[in-house]
Amino acid sequence: MRKSRYTAALIVILLAAVFYGAYLLKAFTVSVPPTRNVTVVLKSLNVRSDYWQTVNGGAQAAAKQAGAAIELAGPLQETDGDAQIQAIEEAIQRKPQAMVIAPFNDERMPDLIRRIRQAGIRLVIIDTPLGVEPHPPFVGHDHVEAGRLAGRKAAELTGGRPRVAVMTDFSASAVSLQRKQGVLHELSEYPDSLYGTYSADDSEERAYDIAKSLLREEPDFNAFIALSQNTTLGVARALQDTGYEGTVKLVGFDGSVSEIQMLEDGALNAMIVQKPFNMGYLGVKTALDELAGKRVEDAYIESTLVTRDNLYEPEIQKLLFPFIQNP
Amino acid sequence: MPGLRLLHSPLFPFKSIRSSISFAFSCLILASIAATALFSYRLAVDAVQRNSQSYVEGIIQQVGARIQSYVDNMENISLLAMSNKDVKYYISDNTFIGPEERLPYEKRISDLFQSILYTRKDIASIMVFGYNGRYVSDRRITTLNPNVKLEDQAWYRNAREAGGKSVLSAPHVQNLIKGEYRWVVSLSRELKSTDGITAEGIFLVDLNLSVIDDICRQINLGKKGYVFIADPEGNIVYHPQQQLIYSNLLSEPIDDVVRAPSGSSFLSGGRGDKRMYSVQDAGFGWRIVGVAYTDELIADAGTIRQTVTAYALVGLAVSLLLSFLLSHRLTRPIKKLQADMRLVEKGNFDIQTEIGQRNEIGQLGRAFNLMVSRIRDLMQEIIRTQENKRKNELQLLQAQINPHFLYNTLDSIVWMAEQKQHEEVVLMTSALAKLFRAGITKDQELVPIRVEAEHISNYLLIQKMRYHDKLDYSIDIQESIYACKTLKILLQPFVENAIYHGIRNRPDIGHIAIRGREENGRVVFEIEDDGVGMTPEQLSRIWTPEEEIRRRGIGIQNVNERIRLFFGGDYGVRIRSEPGAGTLVTLTIPKLG
Repeated sequence: MRKSRYTAALIVILLAAVFYGAYLLKAFTVSVPPTRNVTVVLKSLNVRSDYWQTVNGGAQAAAKQAGAAIELAGPLQETDGDAQIQAIEEAIQRKPQAMVIAPFNDERMPDLIRRIRQAGIRLVIIDTPLGVEPHPPFVGHDHVEAGRLAGRKAAELTGGRPRVAVMTDFSASAVSLQRKQGVLHELSEYPDSLYGTYSADDSEERAYDIAKSLLREEPDFNAFIALSQNTTLGVARALQDTGYEGTVKLVGFDGSVSEIQMLEDGALNAMIVQKPFNMGYLGVKTALDELAGKRVEDAYIESTLVTRDNLYEPEIQKLLFPFIQNP
Repeated sequence: MPGLRLLHSPLFPFKSIRSSISFAFSCLILASIAATALFSYRLAVDAVQRNSQSYVEGIIQQVGARIQSYVDNMENISLLAMSNKDVKYYISDNTFIGPEERLPYEKRISDLFQSILYTRKDIASIMVFGYNGRYVSDRRITTLNPNVKLEDQAWYRNAREAGGKSVLSAPHVQNLIKGEYRWVVSLSRELKSTDGITAEGIFLVDLNLSVIDDICRQINLGKKGYVFIADPEGNIVYHPQQQLIYSNLLSEPIDDVVRAPSGSSFLSGGRGDKRMYSVQDAGFGWRIVGVAYTDELIADAGTIRQTVTAYALVGLAVSLLLSFLLSHRLTRPIKKLQADMRLVEKGNFDIQTEIGQRNEIGQLGRAFNLMVSRIRDLMQEIIRTQENKRKNELQLLQAQINPHFLYNTLDSIVWMAEQKQHEEVVLMTSALAKLFRAGITKDQELVPIRVEAEHISNYLLIQKMRYHDKLDYSIDIQESIYACKTLKILLQPFVENAIYHGIRNRPDIGHIAIRGREENGRVVFEIEDDGVGMTPEQLSRIWTPEEEIRRRGIGIQNVNERIRLFFGGDYGVRIRSEPGAGTLVTLTIPKLG
């Protein structure tokens, strides 16, 4: 019965060809990816925190673009480290495919990171780098570069002969340190350009007081660089009150509405504005890329310099007023 | 015959027709089903895509209409303001005597604006700016942002340039009022004096951008789809992810958007994020663009694909089965025929194959049956012929050494010896010796006519010596045919017959004449005697084999058969005889050599 064996073999081969064809057909088509889900843990969920709301906006945009599900977690207040730890622990229980975390500097954090990894969850750190090994992908602002931008602008405002008083916030703040490092690095290119650094503990009042006392005697400097929103506002107010606005230049950080008014008024000459939207977007996008098996790298987001001249350019408008609020 | 060559090519490495047919069928079926499935899948997907395209276009049209209605509304408000006498008077060149005279106007205009604003939640603010420096808003007390110069504002400049036509701005942050920063879309228009020529101020209506934002966000274009707005120059007026655009994290094919005619759609993007752009012109110069991801629009594509594949597989299985059955049915009679042929090969000629069909294979079977029976007949005939031949040879041998003839001849020799006829004894004995030598020693059937002539003359010599007073003979054979071949001992039986039946019964001397000649390419022998002859009954009897057996000699019939077997049916023996008149035997053979 040789022939029937041949026939049987033929049938088997043909059927195999058919199924292989069907398989190829399937493989060639775009398979709808299974819904990916990402949990984003921020430092604050407060709707009044423009910064974190904007980060959230960017994260949502990235998730929507990729068709991924996103869940938000975090403490209500930006100072509540315990609440964030708890939020992360709860998130680990839910076992999302990826987590994007803007961590507080807390000694419990490395342990949590290890647990996240053990649970097989992909991790991306945003905003504040964490000193853990191996180092998870990081997306954040380049604060040193932002500081250098401020230093450069101060030099430009003073006609290339800057003599700068630097107003820092917490001396322990990593962000502040990096900004200061950038500022000093840039100023070091000019002779005798640093008048002094003053710590205001991120208090508007302290900054106001320090600036006012510096301005009381005949000031031996021509520019302020204030490294946070509160110190910027304090210094700007001090300049307005002492009548030195315009004479002593001020380069500040962040882009709150009060600062914008100061900028319009002329007390603030320039401000360095971050792009939290981009950070949120890139953070989630990096996590999704990692899930898709792509190679991911750390991303550092540049800040933007805003002056009175470019204040109402569409791009800057969108940066400074990220939300279209209902009246 | 390319088809045949194809069947022999390495593409068809099958030994049986059935496998080849099955394979060819299967290939055809596979190809046609694959093509059909592919086509129907494409058609279905196209249909779904067209449907979703018109669905998206419809939605975008609605978006355009809704935005248009808001813009129309703003336009109506501006018309209302333009036609308002208070507004006209307030911004005209009239000089007011004092604030007492000015304030009622401001209050009335502000009240008007406020009442409009009351009914329209979408309007952020209404203001009018006279070129004379006066301005009124919908608020009682309006504190303008001191850092804003009206002339720098796009809406102000554009309205002045448009000269009376309303101008719609791109979304922007309105910072006119101190401490207020709102995202709005501004409609502005230059106001003319009553004469319609002199420009007197700018009227401004701000629409909350959140209105447009809501409209665009409420649109359901799948999870990932969205709506954006561009102006005819290709600037993006509104985009839900404007920041991504500014950061170059997202880009739109804006050239294609500008080029596409209103109400049309086009596809953009590569695999994985193929997007359909549906473009619709709104009346005020904006292009509403709907973006939908095709993989979301054609969510059914997977289902369609699965269904089509399932049907294709079922169809394929059924038709493969059919093709095997069909090829089996087609080749079964051929196989049967093949098996029967194998039996014939082994020598069984009694096989008759069954003929079931009336088609070519049936005809083949019929022809086969015919051929087999014909072969069987021929074989039997050959066997019979061989038997006859052998019998003839035996008889021939007997004829040569007919014992009676030998005894008689020896008797004659003895008798002659007693009579002391030494010469005759020598003659007869030598003739007898020659006679036997000619017959026994030569194996071959054919001998030259010369040998046959010698043979018959030896024979007659002996007979003449025995019957010397009764027999006379003559041999007349043309010398030209001496070299030609003839069957050996062809003439002897007839001479014998002539002597024993014709001459011996005659009272006086009988004569036998033997003649041989060529005639029309044949050799003709005649043996004529003037013996008693035969009646027709006798004549017919000598043709029958019984007679021959009885007489133990070679029969006439036998010789005739020998000639026919050897030379074919055209040759043979003819006998003419009359009682009392003698007998004439005519032998015809072909001229050989």
